[in-house]
Amino acid sequence: MFQKRSFDEGVRRALENIAGPENVFTDAAELLMYSYDAGLARAKPEAVVRFTSTDQVAPAAKLLYAAGIPYLPRIAGTNLSGGTIPLKGGVIFNLSLLNRIRQIDTINRLALVEPGVVNLRLQIELEKFGFFYAPDPASQKVSTIGGNIGENAGGPQCLKYGVTSDNVERLEVVTPEGDVKLWSYGDPGPDLMSLLIGSEGTLGIVTRAWLKILEKPKVVQTAVAAFASVENAVSAASGIIGAGIVPRALEAMDKISLDAAKKNLKTDYPPGTNAILLIELDGASDKKVAGELRAIMEICKTSFSTSFKTAADPAEREALWAARKGAYPAMARLAPNVMVEDGVVPRPRLPEALRETRDILSRYKLTAGLLFHAGDGNLHPNILFDARDLQEVKRVRNAGYEILKSCIRLGGAISGEHGIGVEKRVAMNWMYDAATLDFFGAIKAAFDPRDLVNPDKILPVAQDRRARTRAFPPGFLGEAAAVLITELQSRHNLGAKTAVTGSGESLRRDKRPLRGKWDGAGCKALDTTALNRILELDRENFTVRAEAGVPVGELRKWLKKAGFSIMLPDLDGTLGGVIAAKVWPPARDILLGMDVALADGSVLSFGGKTVKNVAGYDAMKLFCGSLGAYGVILTVTLRTTLHAGAQDTGYKTPVMRHKSQADGRNPVEFKPDEYHRRLKKAFDPGNLLNPWIYD
Amino acid sequence: MTKYDINELYDHTQEPFHLKHLLTDLGERTVYDAAAQCNRCGYCETVCPTYMLTGRETISARGRNQFLRLLIEGKTRDIDSARESFSTCLLCGACSSVCYAKVPTPDLVLEGRRSRDGYGRGFAARLGVDLLLNRRGVFELALKAGYLLKRLGLAALAGKLGFYDFLGLPALGAAQDALKHAPLKFLRKILLKDPALKPEGKKEAAWAYFAPCGPNYVFTEVGAATVALLKRFLGPGVFTDNFCCGLLAYNYGRVTEAREFAKKNILRFEELKKALGGFTVVGDCSSCVAFMKSYEQLFTEDEEWRPRAKAFAEAVKDILEALPTDKIKGRGPADGETVTYHDSCRACHGQGIRSEPRETLKKIAGKAFVELPESDWCCGGAGAYAFTQTALSERIADRKIRNIASTQAGTVLAGATSCLLQLNAGLKKKYPSARAVHYSVYMDNLTR
Repeated sequence: MFQKRSFDEGVRRALENIAGPENVFTDAAELLMYSYDAGLARAKPEAVVRFTSTDQVAPAAKLLYAAGIPYLPRIAGTNLSGGTIPLKGGVIFNLSLLNRIRQIDTINRLALVEPGVVNLRLQIELEKFGFFYAPDPASQKVSTIGGNIGENAGGPQCLKYGVTSDNVERLEVVTPEGDVKLWSYGDPGPDLMSLLIGSEGTLGIVTRAWLKILEKPKVVQTAVAAFASVENAVSAASGIIGAGIVPRALEAMDKISLDAAKKNLKTDYPPGTNAILLIELDGASDKKVAGELRAIMEICKTSFSTSFKTAADPAEREALWAARKGAYPAMARLAPNVMVEDGVVPRPRLPEALRETRDILSRYKLTAGLLFHAGDGNLHPNILFDARDLQEVKRVRNAGYEILKSCIRLGGAISGEHGIGVEKRVAMNWMYDAATLDFFGAIKAAFDPRDLVNPDKILPVAQDRRARTRAFPPGFLGEAAAVLITELQSRHNLGAKTAVTGSGESLRRDKRPLRGKWDGAGCKALDTTALNRILELDRENFTVRAEAGVPVGELRKWLKKAGFSIMLPDLDGTLGGVIAAKVWPPARDILLGMDVALADGSVLSFGGKTVKNVAGYDAMKLFCGSLGAYGVILTVTLRTTLHAGAQDTGYKTPVMRHKSQADGRNPVEFKPDEYHRRLKKAFDPGNLLNPWIYD
Repeated sequence: MTKYDINELYDHTQEPFHLKHLLTDLGERTVYDAAAQCNRCGYCETVCPTYMLTGRETISARGRNQFLRLLIEGKTRDIDSARESFSTCLLCGACSSVCYAKVPTPDLVLEGRRSRDGYGRGFAARLGVDLLLNRRGVFELALKAGYLLKRLGLAALAGKLGFYDFLGLPALGAAQDALKHAPLKFLRKILLKDPALKPEGKKEAAWAYFAPCGPNYVFTEVGAATVALLKRFLGPGVFTDNFCCGLLAYNYGRVTEAREFAKKNILRFEELKKALGGFTVVGDCSSCVAFMKSYEQLFTEDEEWRPRAKAFAEAVKDILEALPTDKIKGRGPADGETVTYHDSCRACHGQGIRSEPRETLKKIAGKAFVELPESDWCCGGAGAYAFTQTALSERIADRKIRNIASTQAGTVLAGATSCLLQLNAGLKKKYPSARAVHYSVYMDNLTR
C-alpha cells in the first residue's frame, strides 16, 4: 500500500532471464495475493518469481543480494506465524512448482526431494515401497517438505521418530548471497545443516533435501480411549510414557475439538466424554504390540477411562486419524478464524499448563478447542475468533501471549513446531535473555550480513525489544562452571588463547603437544574435567542433565543404576567432548538442552527439557562438532529411556559408522567452510578458543 | 443478520443483479460472511486444478476467496485486477468439497465476475439469454440454421458468422468439431410426441423428465436413453416440457433472467404436481441438475418464491442417482470391453454424487469397470472455459486424457453434457482409442 516505487526494470529483466519472462510477476493482483498466508500478518511484495528449476534459485538470490533487494521463499503459504510475509517488500520466491520427488533410495533409506513436494504426496509414494517419512504434521495434506524444514515440523509420530531435524540427512542450500552449499549433519565440524532446519527461511533456501525414510512397521495398532476429563486423559498419557512404552503417537483432544471433528468420526463416545486419547503403537510383531496395548488399556483404566476401543481395520484407523488431523480445519466451521497456539511444556507439567491455559481463555472470554500432542507436551489451543472483530483479535493476541508466558514459566518453550515468524517475535524476549538474542542475531548476521533474506523474522526487532533482562534465570551452574567462566573472562581480557581439552579423549585425542605458535606458551590449556556432576534426573520427563566433564561411561553406569539408559554407544571421553567432536553424530537425536560459555565468558543456555523446541535458531547444533572453537560446553540435557531390562525400547547400540572418528586413530579432517569461519568470527572474534582450527 | 454490513463490491443500483445471501453448508450467509469464512488454511490448493498446474496463489481457490473479500472490504478497489483470478476459475467446486467449512468458492467467484462492469451485459449474451427465455422458437430456428451450415460442411462459416456467440453459446461454437451430428430435430419436439409421456389423463407419476439444454439441443440420444431407463426401472412418468434451467444466464452474470427461468420451471412443476401428486424431477446433465437443486439460493430475498423454489429443488434428482441399483438388471459389456467413470464436477462436488453411479455400474459391468485415477479432476470443459481460457483448459484436459489412457478403458462415462463435448474433443485428438459416452446411453444399451 505504501510502496509507490515501482520495481527496478533492470532487476526485472535480469530475473526474467533467469526464470523466464512468464514467471516474473509484478502486477497488482499477484502482489496482493502474496501479501497473506494462514496467519494474520500482511505485507505486499514488489515482485513474485516462480521458479521452474532448482538451478534458477541461486542466480536469482545472487542477483537480488547484490542489488540489495530483500527476498524470501514461499511454497504453500500455510504458515501460521506469518513467516512468509514480505515485511520489507522485495521479492517472493515462489517454489511451489519445484515439486519433484527425484529419488527414493530404499537401500540407503533416503528420499531426495525438491522443497515443493507436499508431505502427504511423499508419504503416498513411499508407501508403494513399504516406507514412510516420520514427520507427519497435521497439515501434511497441504504443507510441503520445504515448509516443514523451515519450521522444523513435528507431528504425532515425532514422539517416537523425532521431528524434522532428526529426519534430514543432507540439504542443498542456497545461501543468502546466492552460493550453493551441500551440508549434512554428519559432516565434520559444526552442524550447519541442522542450523538451517527451523530457521524459517532466514538463513538460506533449501533447494534439495535428502530425507531419512523408514521401513513401515509390520504391525500398527490404533486405539482410542475416552475420559470424563482432560486431566484424566493427561494422567493416562503420563502413565503410558512412564511405563516406558513409546507409542508411535499419543494425541489428545478435548470436547470442543471432538465435537468439531465429529463429522469424520463413525464411532460414538460414552455420554459425558470430555477428552479422548488417540494411541497408536507399532512394532515388529503382533505379540509385542498386543502386549503393549493391553498394558495401555490397564493404564487408561486406572486413569478412569470410560471406554477403550481398538480400530478393527485400516478404514477405522483412517477415520480416527481423519478426525484428529481434521480437527483444526473442522474448527474452521465454528468461526471464521482459528488461532492455533503452539506452546510446549515438559510433559509432566501438562496438567498445570492445561489448567492455566483454560483459566486464561475464560478470563479473555474466548472459546478454544484443545488439541495436544500429549506424549511430548506440545499444546495446541485452537482459539476461535473473527478477524473482523478488532477487539476480539486483541483479546486473542493477549491470551495467546499469556499462554506462551505460562509455558515458559513451566519450563517449556513458545513454539513446538509452528515457528516464530512475525507473530511470536515479541515472545522471544520472554524466553531468552539479551545475550542469547544477540547470539542469534550474530548467527543471522554471519549468514546474511545485509539482512535481506526474510528480514525481521524470528528475532525481536527494535520496537519489540522491551525486556532486556531475563524473566526466568537459567539454573545455577555450580562452582566448577563458575571457576571456568571466570578463567575464560580473565583470559579474554588478556587476549590469551585457550586450548579446550576436556579429558583429552575426543578433542585432542592425539594428545600430542601443540606445535609451532600454538605450543604450551601460545595456548593455555583449559581443563573441563572438574565439570563432573550429574545435575538432575527427571524421572517423569525422561531427561538427564549433567555437566559436560562427566565421562559417557560414567553417566551410563549411573543411569543404569537408576533404572534408565541412554541412546549413546559406549564411548570414551566426556559428554562435552563427544558432542563437541561429533564422535557420534546421531547424538543430536537425544540432545535437548545445553549451557555454553563463549570465549568472553558469557553464558548462553539453549533448548531445555522438551523434545520439541523451535523457538529461535537451533544454535545448540552448532556446538555439535564445534571442536571447542565456538565455546565451552558446560552442561547438557539428554533424553533418556527406561532401562532395557524392564522393557525393551528397541534400542540396540549401533555399529559405529564413523569408526575412524571413534577410535581416534585417524580423525576425519575438518576443513572449515566459509560459513564456519564467519560464525567463528562472530562468536570468538579474537580467535581465542582452540585457535589452530581456524588458523 | 450480520455484524459486518460492508459491501464495496458494487453499489446499491446493482443489487438486483447479485445474490445477497448464499445458502452455504453452514447456513444462510451474506456473501461477505461466506467469503470471510475462509481462514486461508490452504487445503483447497491440494485440489484446485488451476493452482496445481501453475503453482500461483493468484489463480487458486484461496486466492479467489481472498480477492473477493478484499474487494468487498474495499481494501482493493481495482476490480479489473481480479479479472484473471476470477475468469480462470473452472467453477468445479473441488475446493468446496475439500474445505471443512465448505466455503462456496464458485458462488463467490461468480459474485466477483458479476461485479465487473459490463460483465454479462454484452450484446451477444443478452440476446442469447433473452431469446432462450422469451422467444424460444427464434432461438431454435437460429440454432438450426447454424447446424444446417455445419451439415453443409460450412462449419467454419457458422463459426465465423458468430452464430454461436450470437446465441450466447460460444462453448458450442468452440466444440462444434466434436459434434458428430448436430440434430435438426430437438428432443423437446420428440418427447412431446410420445403419448406415454403425456401428463394428460394421468393421476400419478413416479418421475418427470426434465430436458436440459445439452440433451435437448445437442445430444438428443442422451435424453431418449434417460427416458427409456426411467420407463424401464421406475415405471410410468411424464415429460415436464421445461425451459432452460437458467444456469447459462446465471453463469454469464444475468441473475435476473436466471430467476425468470427458475420461475417458469417452478410453475410448470407446480402445475404437474397439482395433477400428479409427488414425483421426482429427473435431469440428465449434472450441471443443470446441480443448479436446480440450488434454486432456493436465487430467492433468499423473496418470501413468496423462496419456499416454492425449495420445494422444487427438493424434488430434483440427477439420473446418476435416480436409478434403483437393486432393480437394475442387464447384460454386461462385450468381452474385453472396459469402462471407466469420470465424476462430472457438478455431480461430485456440486451434489455429492460419487458412490451411486459406481454401484449401479458395477452391478451391470462387473469387472469391466475400472476406476479412473483422479476421477474428480475437472475435464476443463466448464461451459465456455475451453473457449475463454484455451491454454489452461488444454492442460487441464491433457491431465484428464492421460488418466483415461492409463486405465486403457474404451469407454469413459460422464453425467454432464459439457464434459462429453470436452472429453470427446480431447480424446479424438490425443487418445482416439477411447470415447466419452453419457451414463444414460451406456446404461440404456446394456439394460435394454
